[in-house]
Amino acid sequence: MQSVHQFLTRVGAGFIGWLKSWRGILRFAAQAAVEAFTPALYNSATRSVVQKQIYFTAWQILPGFTLFAAVLSYVLIQIVVTTARDFGLSDYALEVSIRVLVLELLPLLTALFVALRSGAAINTEVALMNINNEIRALEEAGVDPMRFEFTPRVIGGAISVFALTALTSVLALILAYLAVYGFQLWSLPDFNRVMGQVFTPAAFVILSLKSLAFGLAVTVIPIRAGLEAPRMMFFAPIAVLRGMVRLFFVLMIIEVASLALAYI
Amino acid sequence: MERAPVPATLIRNLEFKVGLLLVGTLVLALAFLAYVLHVRGVFEPSQELILVADDAEGVSVGMPLSFSGFPIGRVSRLDLTDQGQVRVHVAVPLKSARWLRESSRFTLEKGLVGGAKIRAFSTNLADPPLPDGAERSLLTGDATQEIPVLVAKVKAILANVEAMTAGDSSINRALAHADTISGRMAGEYGVLEGVLGGPDKARKIVDALDRANSLLANLNGVSLKVDQMLVKADQRVFGAGGTMDRTDQSLAQVNAILADVRESLGKADAILREAQAAAANVNAITADVKGATTDLASLRAEVDESLRKVNHLINEINRKWPFARDVELKLP
Repeated sequence: MQSVHQFLTRVGAGFIGWLKSWRGILRFAAQAAVEAFTPALYNSATRSVVQKQIYFTAWQILPGFTLFAAVLSYVLIQIVVTTARDFGLSDYALEVSIRVLVLELLPLLTALFVALRSGAAINTEVALMNINNEIRALEEAGVDPMRFEFTPRVIGGAISVFALTALTSVLALILAYLAVYGFQLWSLPDFNRVMGQVFTPAAFVILSLKSLAFGLAVTVIPIRAGLEAPRMMFFAPIAVLRGMVRLFFVLMIIEVASLALAYI
Repeated sequence: MERAPVPATLIRNLEFKVGLLLVGTLVLALAFLAYVLHVRGVFEPSQELILVADDAEGVSVGMPLSFSGFPIGRVSRLDLTDQGQVRVHVAVPLKSARWLRESSRFTLEKGLVGGAKIRAFSTNLADPPLPDGAERSLLTGDATQEIPVLVAKVKAILANVEAMTAGDSSINRALAHADTISGRMAGEYGVLEGVLGGPDKARKIVDALDRANSLLANLNGVSLKVDQMLVKADQRVFGAGGTMDRTDQSLAQVNAILADVRESLGKADAILREAQAAAANVNAITADVKGATTDLASLRAEVDESLRKVNHLINEINRKWPFARDVELKLP
């Protein structure tokens, strides 16, 4: 009887903790979003943090990631085009590859890439700052860590994800044109027609919102996970692990939600 | 990565790089937005065409309207009328509108694979162009709807084929007969045997032909004789001293006779002329006679009078002379 009671208590406490942490994430995200649109936030210190964040998250990985995305896109487009031709559905090859790559795969891929690289780094950094009492020190020194450390990173991360998504998507579109029509410009009207069919206003809005949500998620969740960690050194890896799993989960939820919005 | 705050000065051209990335992304995003608006026909003036259909299953917004396989318009809106008909609004860019004419027809085709297709057919491009907002009916053709009918027909055809190919079918019997006939044809008398049904009958025909041949030979002799006769007749008729010669002479005599006759007729003519003159005289005489006749009448009256007097006188004498009975009186 005692053990059942303990079990139920443990389950209830776990659930309440889980709910609390999600509420914390949402509140943190809302706070960051509100601060991002507050002009008073921007001074030389925060601008420097935003710049550095963009530099490390987007600029550093730009050549490698662009190349990787280009190769992946080209291979996928070729597979789709060849298969579609085998089934006599070449008319749909371009539309299918654009939908798969630009609307779904490339934004998700960018978000995952940034999450694995910068998200993990931010998570670790914030967890260590928290464990080393640096955040409390900042607060005591009258520096708002939210304003000077976290919000600039969120802004930088969101801009980076958006920039990488835009660049790789445009590259994928060019590659799709080349793969389907070859190296000539005469089929531009056909291509334009398919683009017009794919990029309806709804699709455009969903893509933009999704990209923004991905950008917010890859920074907000790691920061929040780092802050939640108990101030003990051995909790740092656990904080990173939790943060990354949660981030992956959120990215998938955003993707599924965008698909549901677009196709259901 | 960003464990220790890295001074901004340690990263070369940090601000320029970030600025380049930001501006590049912004330009790319705006250009893409403009491009999407362009390909969606926002900047292009277009005219509207309304297609009315009973059933627009498979039609969706953004679907192309194709002409000769080229997309020339796009479905912009779908709505349902109070009568339950579907109105498909198609936006046709002005530069493509020249393919649509007053006489254009529009069809909605649904294949087995792939989506529905709206097609335009313009047979006469010299017709007046289709006005903006024109309303046309959308003819629907569905390949899948005809499949059950097709299957039923194919089944009937297969049943017929089965009946045809069965062991005791008429085709098989006809083929068997053909086989017999061709077997006979291979016999001594060939095709004749096949047609007539046996060698005896064929032999009869051959015999008949033989007889006909001998008959023809006889006829040949006959015709030779007829030829000789004809030659003789020719000599008799047309030869020297033949019938024709004598006929010629007779004709000459007839001619001479005819000349005499002509001469006599001339004389008769003269006589007739004289007779005519005589007739004129006779006329005059007749007139005289008429006058004379009138005189005669009076004379007769006088004679009658005299006779009556004589008669009266005789009567007187008779009365006075009763003895003399045979009185003879001579009239003047």
